[in-house]
Amino acid sequence: MTDEVLRTENLARAFGGLQAVAGVSLSLYAGKVTALVGPNGAGKTTTFNLITGNLRADSGAAQIRGKPIMGLKPWQVARLGVARSFQDLRLFTHMTVRENVLAATETASWFWQPGGGAARRAREDRAARALEATGLAALAHARAVDLAYAERKFLSMARILAAEADIWLLDEPASGLDLASRLRFGELLRGATARGVAICLIEHNLDVVTELSDRIAFLDQGKVLAEGDPQTILRDPALAAIYFGDRPQEAA
Amino acid sequence: MIAYAANLATIVAIFGILAATLNFVVGFAGIFSVAHAVFFGLGAYAGAQVALHIVPDALLACVVAAVVAGGLSLCLALPALRVRGEYFVAASLGLQMMATTLFSEAKAFTGGIGGLVAIPRPTLFGMEVSVLPLALVALALILFATALLQRGAFGRTLQALRDAESAAEALGKNVAAAKTLAMLFACAGAGIAGALFALHLSFVNVESFTMDQSVLVMAMVIIGGTGTLWGPVIGAIILLSLPAGLAFVPFIPATEVGAVQQIIYGLAMTLLMIFRPAGLVGDLSKGRATA
Amino acid sequence: MLFLQLLLQGIQTGALYALTAAGFALIFGATRIFHFAHGTSFTLAGYAFLFCWNGGLPGWIGTLAGIAVAMLFGLAMERLVYRPIQRHEGSFFTVFVAAFGVAVVVQNLVGMVAGRGFASVDTRLSLATEVLPDVFLAPIFWIAIAVAVVLFAALSAFLTRTHAGVALRALAQNPDLLRAYGLSSNRLSMLAFAVGSAMAAPAAILTAMTTGLNEAIGHHVMLISMAATIVGGVGSLRGAALAGLMLGVAESVALQFVDTQWAEAVSFLVLFAFIIFRPSGFFGVAQTR
Ligand SMILES: Nc1ncnc2c1ncn2[C@@H]1O[C@H](COP(=O)(O)OP(=O)(O)OP(=O)(O)O)[C@@H](O)[C@H]1O
Ligand SMILES: [Mg+2]
Repeated sequence: MTDEVLRTENLARAFGGLQAVAGVSLSLYAGKVTALVGPNGAGKTTTFNLITGNLRADSGAAQIRGKPIMGLKPWQVARLGVARSFQDLRLFTHMTVRENVLAATETASWFWQPGGGAARRAREDRAARALEATGLAALAHARAVDLAYAERKFLSMARILAAEADIWLLDEPASGLDLASRLRFGELLRGATARGVAICLIEHNLDVVTELSDRIAFLDQGKVLAEGDPQTILRDPALAAIYFGDRPQEAA
Repeated sequence: MIAYAANLATIVAIFGILAATLNFVVGFAGIFSVAHAVFFGLGAYAGAQVALHIVPDALLACVVAAVVAGGLSLCLALPALRVRGEYFVAASLGLQMMATTLFSEAKAFTGGIGGLVAIPRPTLFGMEVSVLPLALVALALILFATALLQRGAFGRTLQALRDAESAAEALGKNVAAAKTLAMLFACAGAGIAGALFALHLSFVNVESFTMDQSVLVMAMVIIGGTGTLWGPVIGAIILLSLPAGLAFVPFIPATEVGAVQQIIYGLAMTLLMIFRPAGLVGDLSKGRATA
Repeated sequence: MLFLQLLLQGIQTGALYALTAAGFALIFGATRIFHFAHGTSFTLAGYAFLFCWNGGLPGWIGTLAGIAVAMLFGLAMERLVYRPIQRHEGSFFTVFVAAFGVAVVVQNLVGMVAGRGFASVDTRLSLATEVLPDVFLAPIFWIAIAVAVVLFAALSAFLTRTHAGVALRALAQNPDLLRAYGLSSNRLSMLAFAVGSAMAAPAAILTAMTTGLNEAIGHHVMLISMAATIVGGVGSLRGAALAGLMLGVAESVALQFVDTQWAEAVSFLVLFAFIIFRPSGFFGVAQTR
């Protein structure tokens, strides 16, 4: 069995009367892509927010390699090796592409970073490699706001690459990408899993899911309805019905 | 004439420091403080008290001023950690208004409305010095720090949290610490400017530390160009030489010079915001400034 | 009886604060524009009334003139300053600085034209009589209360009964609708500015009759309106009005305990405390992050 690096147990969170996440238990494994699929509003993004500490969980627990992470601040979770992307990207809009990626390599909030000149050159190398891998090297000096849609998505990925985390939480990183971009995106993921990165991928396009994921967790109304290998999950007619919206009529 | 020029240069340098330090928080961290004059004032009073009651040593006065203003910067860091945008502007205005009242009332520390008078001439290592070289050195250091900020990691951190705070946090940046640190640095710098101001004029009162002053400094940063190296200094030069320039315009009655000056800088702020929001310098180094 | 006197005075001041603050809150809620020149509408309306009065015109003409001037100024700001800035993705701070610039310009122009320092109109309405032992009230107290009550009734009728009013309210409570509204948001924003600015005029005129105006009064009015809007909770007109009333009372009642110089600081202390401990205000619906 592969190594479990992140696990959540019965995470739950309500907004007012709405139970957005209702007991999600999920595991991520080194070198594996776990796709988190489910209809709009299923609670996928909220699950990410609970793991990263952007939202407080009402109940439940989560740990990274056995270390409990509930109650940690987002930056503390990040320093345990978690990198995430946002559905709305949240790029550093008025900074250049290169600065965006460099910023991802610098975590110290002090006036200077530790490690001196050697460490700085290492960070610059990392940033350069991330730009190379995402095909943004030629745009290094453009501002993030001035990028095209696909380029923005890749910049968001470049930040994650440069952050050198070994757990990636990706919130619809491939949505709206054209075929060529999607292939390049797939390469990025495969490169990462080869290095042992554990990836959780939120994605609506089932072709992308089939192609890229090793496991699927199916989320609906805040609950994991099924978990398993892509073939079994995607062939399940009940799940397909929920996913494509013809949910069986609930008792009034 | 030389005395006049030296005086103007000293004042420009002091306000250059003020504007450049405000630029740290406004131009990089996107924290729009309208309370910079509070820390200018704290530094001025602290420096003046040191000179009056201990020794008129310029270095000591500056250090004490920086410590007092930097320490109290927490008053502004606290709301900066809680709210952004309009709310923070409102909080800083609230702080400014409270501080103005405090400055006029805390007679033991500030001398009340009358202010502190007869502050002795500053010395440095026992020798009497004029404030101009000190102010220029301080300004040079601050500009050097700004240049580092523009290139270095800390500046990137501040800009990152300005553009997308949650994304910066998700990358492992302790946003609260970075904001507090930026605020501390900017306010301590304003404190130093205040100490130099007190030593230069040998007299200070609350008039110099009101909201109008905060807005003037803000206008310097904005008119020059936020986030730029030279913008704040150029803004300071322009706004401070306005009164001098207007004094030579014959058809303005002497009593109206102040009002005309204010009208000009008010108009300049509005028109710049409409037509050139990046400021005068901001346009030259495109991509840097973000008003 | 000093306390009662201060309380009544505070209610009078507070009623005027409430009117101005509601205007600011209406504009901010509906357009998300931090209309920092709102105090300038107040100044202009007050001085317009003053001019008419000193020119020997009847009070109602002055009142209409005041309202018209405030409205025109608000609309001009919307068209000539805010609209162009928003067209090039200007941040809130760009808006703030531009508005502030206008406020500075108008303040100094008014000072040059109308003279600096306090100016007021003398009417018999502001002559106080002893209504209780040691408690003095002027007719203007009742007028201020009546004006505030009538205007709030009119405003809430407008906001609940008319189509445009309901749309404005919807915008205030759910900023996301601003985008969904698309085409009509342009006209709604002009409407918000017209109505919101007009709300400042009655308060300005009553202030001219009581404590008097000076060219810098707009600053003070603006800061109070902003404080009331935030303390009340952005998006809530009722909150802003109540907070305005409360700030007026607090400033006045505080005089029992502290010297006059501290009165204004009391408002800002309240504001500051709210921002740190409860940034969403009394009735806050809007989030700050
Ligand atoms: N901060 C919040 N406050 C209130 N409700 C929220 C908040 N965040 C999410 N919700 C609600 O919780 C539910 C789950 O939202 P979530 O964003 O997790 O869905 P999702 O699975 O990511 O959907 P999508 O595919 O549309 O991104 C939704 O009904 C949403 O409206
Ligand atoms: Mg989502």
